[in-house]
Amino acid sequence: MTNVATKFVRRPTGRRTGASTPSGWWALAFIAPATIGLVVLYLWPFLSTLIKSFQDVPAFGPATFVGIENYTTLIGDGDFWKAFGNSALYTAIILLGIPLAIALAALIEQVGRGRSIYRVLFFLPVVTLPVAIGMVWRFIYNGDFGLLNYVLSWFGVDGQFWVADPRFTIFAFGVVGIWMGLGINLIILGAGLQAIPKALYEASALDGAGRVRQFFHITVPLLSPSIFFVTILNVIAALQMFDLIFIMLRGVNNTALADSKTIVYLFYEKAFVQFHQGYGAAIAIVLLIVIMIATALQFRLQRSWVFYG
Amino acid sequence: MKRNWIAATAMVAAATLLTACSGGSSSGASDEKVTLTYANWSEDQTPAMQQIATEFEKANPNITIKVQTLPWTEYWSTLQVGAAGGTAPDAFWMLADHFREYAKGGQLLDLSDTVKSNKIDMSVYPKAVSDSYTYEGKSFALPKDFDTNGIWYNKALFDAAGVKYPDDTWGWQDVQDAAKKLTDPAKGVWGIAAPIDSQGGFYNTILQAGGSIINPDGTASDFASPAGVAGLKFWTDLQAAGSSPTLKQLSDTEAVSMFENQKVAMYFSGAYWALRLYKNPELKDKVDVAPLPQGVKRATVTSGIGNAGYAGSKHPEELKKFLAFLGGTKAAEIQAATGTVLPAYKGTQKPWLDAMPEFHLQVFIDAIDYSVPLPVAGNASEWQGLAAQYLAPAWDGKKPVQDAAKEYQDAVDQVLAKK
Amino acid sequence: MAESIVRRTPGPRWRGKPTTTWPIHVILIGASVFMVVPFVWQILTLFKTTAEVTRVPPTILPGDLSLHSFETFFSTVPFWSMFAVSTGSLALRVVGQIVVAALAGYAFARIPFRGRNVLFGLFIVMLMVPSQLFLIGQYELVRDLGLLDTLPALAIPGLFSAFGTFLMRQAFLTMPKDYEEAARLDGANTFQVFWYVMLPMARPMLAALAVLTGLYSWNDLLWPLIVSPSGENRPLPVGLAGLQGQFGTDYPTLMAGAFVCSIPLVVVFLVLQRQFFAGIASSGLKG
Repeated sequence: MTNVATKFVRRPTGRRTGASTPSGWWALAFIAPATIGLVVLYLWPFLSTLIKSFQDVPAFGPATFVGIENYTTLIGDGDFWKAFGNSALYTAIILLGIPLAIALAALIEQVGRGRSIYRVLFFLPVVTLPVAIGMVWRFIYNGDFGLLNYVLSWFGVDGQFWVADPRFTIFAFGVVGIWMGLGINLIILGAGLQAIPKALYEASALDGAGRVRQFFHITVPLLSPSIFFVTILNVIAALQMFDLIFIMLRGVNNTALADSKTIVYLFYEKAFVQFHQGYGAAIAIVLLIVIMIATALQFRLQRSWVFYG
Repeated sequence: MKRNWIAATAMVAAATLLTACSGGSSSGASDEKVTLTYANWSEDQTPAMQQIATEFEKANPNITIKVQTLPWTEYWSTLQVGAAGGTAPDAFWMLADHFREYAKGGQLLDLSDTVKSNKIDMSVYPKAVSDSYTYEGKSFALPKDFDTNGIWYNKALFDAAGVKYPDDTWGWQDVQDAAKKLTDPAKGVWGIAAPIDSQGGFYNTILQAGGSIINPDGTASDFASPAGVAGLKFWTDLQAAGSSPTLKQLSDTEAVSMFENQKVAMYFSGAYWALRLYKNPELKDKVDVAPLPQGVKRATVTSGIGNAGYAGSKHPEELKKFLAFLGGTKAAEIQAATGTVLPAYKGTQKPWLDAMPEFHLQVFIDAIDYSVPLPVAGNASEWQGLAAQYLAPAWDGKKPVQDAAKEYQDAVDQVLAKK
Repeated sequence: MAESIVRRTPGPRWRGKPTTTWPIHVILIGASVFMVVPFVWQILTLFKTTAEVTRVPPTILPGDLSLHSFETFFSTVPFWSMFAVSTGSLALRVVGQIVVAALAGYAFARIPFRGRNVLFGLFIVMLMVPSQLFLIGQYELVRDLGLLDTLPALAIPGLFSAFGTFLMRQAFLTMPKDYEEAARLDGANTFQVFWYVMLPMARPMLAALAVLTGLYSWNDLLWPLIVSPSGENRPLPVGLAGLQGQFGTDYPTLMAGAFVCSIPLVVVFLVLQRQFFAGIASSGLKG
């Protein structure tokens, strides 16, 4: 089983080569464009953010060093913890989309005719402009004349103000997030399913295993590296959620915004609206640490559930 | 790894060299061809801005003006990054609540000598507006327009409910009573829109109750005083009586849209909606405007957009010329005649009134007499963001107004205390 | 195990008889409805009038097929010039990223060198940093290169994506070594092996990367504004965002704008879908 996870951690078995050998020169030539870009466009801005997080940076003019003050402020900042909770909740909801994607991927693999039509349909949201998605869903979620409440009314369910009531906003975003990400998840998981040898199913069928049993004893374990990969990608993306809240709540005078901010939104607001770049930087650094811990934790946990054949 | 670092350093060095070379051509003689950019955030007003630019180009053939419109949601972040990085537009719209940070940070072109040399009489602008663009005694922007508040109302809905139109005799109770009568849940019509709106809403009522919003030296807010609470209670009472769509409804559909969709009969807001309402064929004959009601006294907050210049502009002399033009009568007249907005320049407002004769727009001009500048002390863009968070429980009836006001006041004071 | 995927002839079913698939179709169609309803609603809405849209309960079908919303959209947003900017920067970014990412991905996958793991780890960490954080630094670089107000400025940060490098590395990792070794025996150097042997085999993955890169490029909103101080080079999302500011809750016009601006990329995707799905499937983003 080739998989991403082991690639991350496995040491290269080949001979180690410095730049002085021909192979090293080739490596340098191949890797130089990407690395220069990485250093100049990503690493450098990142390091300057790291420095800013220890400074008081006004919108304009010189920064002053303040030590860890931004970080201590952050610990006592209720808004930060609220945003943190919102991001965590959103991430948890997004993760619920993964079992859904597994089930759908497995079903799609079983149909012959129409498979590519399903894939295209599920993929449509991925190729649609986020601004457009935000507009459409804001309209669907409208408490007065939105489609969702109308459909619910057929079943006698009372409508809610899905993106105007802070009790529901994160859940509303979560549904859109799952809807948007389903296409990508399906494709990756579908590819994983195709790689499972057919013989395994045939053998277990001979042993009298039913479909459900097959699903849990063959499909899920053999798919686990793909599931793991999808989980990593989804957690990173979910913790960085920004677009939806920016498009759906900002620009209108929405009173639910105060209770619905995510970490990245809070960073944006501090750095670009309230002129507190240093504090914003500290928020961003903490978020990065959270993402790294979450990812490392998943790598640690994978040993107990990811199956490498 | 080391080699990559060297490559990166080389790239940066090359980049620095490039800028050094291209930066040399900034000193310009007055007859040199020059292009200035002029940024705004309103598609609605862009045609008028374009017309003003064309007019200026006619008088100054060597200067080309490029009008550019940024989406409102991206305007301030784009301006901030551009200003900090030396590439902001030459001229741009400024708002009073963002002004201080820019002026303090040295990002704005000092117009004091332009005012002097062009003999611009600052008294032609409403004092409240010109004062808000003055920092440490220097002028950094000339007022473009101004807005006071009035009651926009829908005559058809008033007629249907048999309620007398609002007029200058109305007090607070009249609004409460009319709003109640106008509300018809069966039809989905409410008497008034009562969102958590500072400029069009509770700032005005706090002032009308005799309060002050922020104290004169900008160190403390006044929301929890008896007047402050009374001013907030005006709105929470409307909510409690069911005379307004709920806060949630107003979050889904903004108050102005509710008014445009004819779901609310009254909407307290500024002069800037006039053209949009007038252009709407459904509303043109149904809408009119009346003065804000009287509380303990008459009051409205006033504010206005300022035309500011970027201190880092490569063509400061041409830019000053352009800004002086923007602050002059010609630019004001174009804004007025097109009905775009109420120009700040005294005496140029008549064409604006004439452009929309069906609306009694004079109320906005009369309101100058009792207007108070929009408070912008301290880091205004920070503390202004707090209103919804602290006041929503009071609007929803979940917390006594007094308590919400106290918490709100403490939070605002904390921001004001920072610097 | 990796080789088996490449060689395997794609069989549509791995178990079950074809006759039993109708319940599966029922479930899938149900799920598809959930996926498609927002788009259907968007299209229905853009034919309606504002009054119809805000009615309670909502009207499902438009009263008459009014094209008013399209008129408003096209008269407000300079669609074609924005479309040209969007397309131009997309082309630059896709081509550039494919070159950069394929080279780097190949080196990470197939050329052992000192510090490879550390460097690759750095790429991965950058994936985890929220992109808003890079904004100011990237802008300063583009400015210092004298590229503000140019089309390349829109594409530059996107050329160097850690994600693209990661994806291409996966693609090359899963390829069999045999061809490479055969070419080497024939005397090909590293670049020739890469160019004539490996890159052609990675074609589906390149298509996948092109679609994904194109997507990011098409969606960019804040960045194009920041690197175009003179107001040139405004791509479609800027027009759409401006529309929302101007028309607030004029949903028909907003939906028309959302529809028109999304269509080009949807069409490109439909054309490339076979390659795209094959690319993802061959990428090693799987078990």
